[in-house]
Amino acid sequence: MIYVEGLSKEYKQFNRASGVIGTIKNLFSREHTIVKAVDNISFSIEQGEAIGYLGPNGAGKSTMIKMLTGILVPTSGKVTVNHLVPHKSRQEIAKRIGIVFGQRSQLWWDLPVEDSFELHRRIYNIQDKDYQKNMDIFLDLLNLKEFITRPVRQLSLGQRMRAEIGLALLHNPDIVFLDEPTIGLDVIAKDNIRNFIRQMNRERKISIFLTSHDMKDIEEICGRMLIVNKGELIYDGTVEQLKSNLSASKIITIEFVVDPGDAVVLENAVLVNDSGIRKTFRIDKGLDSAIDFVQNLSKRYPIKDFVLQDSNIEDIIRMYYRSLEKDNSTQMTKQEKLSVIY
Amino acid sequence: MMRSYSEITKKAFFRNTAYRSEVWLRIFGNISIVFIQVSIWTALLGTGSLNGINIETMITYSLINTSVSMILMNKVIYVVDDKLKTGNITLDLLKPINYPLLLFWDQLGNVIFQVIFTVVPTILITWFLFGLTFPTNPYFIVAFIISLFLALVISFLIGYLVALVSFWFLTTFALDWMVTALITVFSGSFLPLWFFSDGWKFVAEMLPFQFLGFIPAAIYMEKINIDEIVWIIGKGTMWALMLWFVAQLLWWRAIRRLVIQGG
Ligand SMILES: Nc1ncnc2c1ncn2[C@@H]1O[C@H](COP(=O)(O)OP(=O)(O)O)[C@@H](O)[C@H]1O
Ligand SMILES: [Mg+2]
Repeated sequence: MIYVEGLSKEYKQFNRASGVIGTIKNLFSREHTIVKAVDNISFSIEQGEAIGYLGPNGAGKSTMIKMLTGILVPTSGKVTVNHLVPHKSRQEIAKRIGIVFGQRSQLWWDLPVEDSFELHRRIYNIQDKDYQKNMDIFLDLLNLKEFITRPVRQLSLGQRMRAEIGLALLHNPDIVFLDEPTIGLDVIAKDNIRNFIRQMNRERKISIFLTSHDMKDIEEICGRMLIVNKGELIYDGTVEQLKSNLSASKIITIEFVVDPGDAVVLENAVLVNDSGIRKTFRIDKGLDSAIDFVQNLSKRYPIKDFVLQDSNIEDIIRMYYRSLEKDNSTQMTKQEKLSVIY
Repeated sequence: MMRSYSEITKKAFFRNTAYRSEVWLRIFGNISIVFIQVSIWTALLGTGSLNGINIETMITYSLINTSVSMILMNKVIYVVDDKLKTGNITLDLLKPINYPLLLFWDQLGNVIFQVIFTVVPTILITWFLFGLTFPTNPYFIVAFIISLFLALVISFLIGYLVALVSFWFLTTFALDWMVTALITVFSGSFLPLWFFSDGWKFVAEMLPFQFLGFIPAAIYMEKINIDEIVWIIGKGTMWALMLWFVAQLLWWRAIRRLVIQGG
């Protein structure tokens, strides 16, 4: 139902010089740099799939959602949703999608929560019996009961987000886009929201497109994940597959007595994090090779301490992000970047 | 479709009830304005009259003009401005509904609230304190109602247009300040257009602001020739259409910029 091919979005960012002279200069020259927020990304999504779109801040997740929903025109590439080009048929597509932005609200600030639902029902022309049915379910599953009559401005962030999500699903959309819906929430609220989204996906076959920088959101809700960084797609596969790729590997953090420098890289090991005398390596061939690795290393450099851990998916990704930051200057190719994960 | 717009109006109406305490201040403010104007005109006119206008006429005029100014929608500028500058407009673009229309019906909710809780009490109190005259000719009553509707639409479009202009150029505050000043002067809030010099009268008649106070009041008071009314209403309608056209044009450009540059 969603088809994306070679999709890119470039933003112009205008350089603002500061100071008096800078301000005057800004009036006359509009120097800008081009930011590639989404860089040649392709994928497709079937009805009923739940996609997790993972990436650190600034990776281009929101930009992707905006292009998929038609509020942003791509710089190049193709995109269709239900066979329609989103930015050309925005209102048409709007009837069939639901959307939640973690950072923006669709609720009416000064009115009780139920009024926003009532209004949504009119705007989307929802049949009375569908409305009743959904309200009954949402009141219960999202625990809206406890605050449905309160003005939105009095809600906690977690309550507000539950209401936002209910609202986005009220008109039985084919697909729901959620842009960092759990950002800033406590564990209980996160859990409630994840369970709800998962249930809607499983029971109603509503497609989910969820962005997050929290791995857990995606692990619990989505069968398939796409990982992006700096606009590029670097992983597309199931969560299980990613896990099994990583399960054989071990993560070792070694504390040296003196920083051995970059020369320390050995075969079988990938340096994933380097902060001077503390370096983290990933060893791909199981425990034995990890022990060999430490022994070999300790013969050449004095070691103060080391920690061995199983590679937890979240840690790997976090370290992976960090290694990308570092290698930014050395310009890895996409293939090399992928090799860090596989 | 109609159902969704009327629902918006209803919600906007109830949104206002959250700020009920302002109501008394507004009524008090309105009555003060009328009172001050009545005092000034009493001092100026005494028991006599100027250009056929006596003190009774002026009381009615200042009440109607003040009341119309309470239902103007030009403050919609801040709503649009906020939506555009924060990028929250994107959420409204994702609804299967026309945003400018939504906004008009939303503002209508505010107006209905103002009418019930501010305008009507102000009129009743003023009537009690100073007396009031009423139109008798049904033709004028109909024209008055149409002119009120024009005041709503024109003020809405001016506010909407100014917000769009400020999206590209100036600060909203400066523009709003200017528009408010223009409305105050050329809608005849301070001085009815009857007393303008020929040059200024010409300027006032070339601008849309006279429809935001002076015209409804003059029609109410039957101070416009009956055969001129159709022409004036027609002129107001032309203004509304023209403003709507320009606003629509700017709106599409603003949206285009948003969807291409991402805000
Ligand atoms: N309207 C915009 N104008 C210029 N640059 C933008 C704009 N929106 C986003 N960007 C830039 O594009 C990149 C991706 O942003 P975004 O899609 O918001 O990332 P994410 O949602 O993954 O945090 C960032 O570098 C951001 O600074
Ligand atoms: Mg984002």
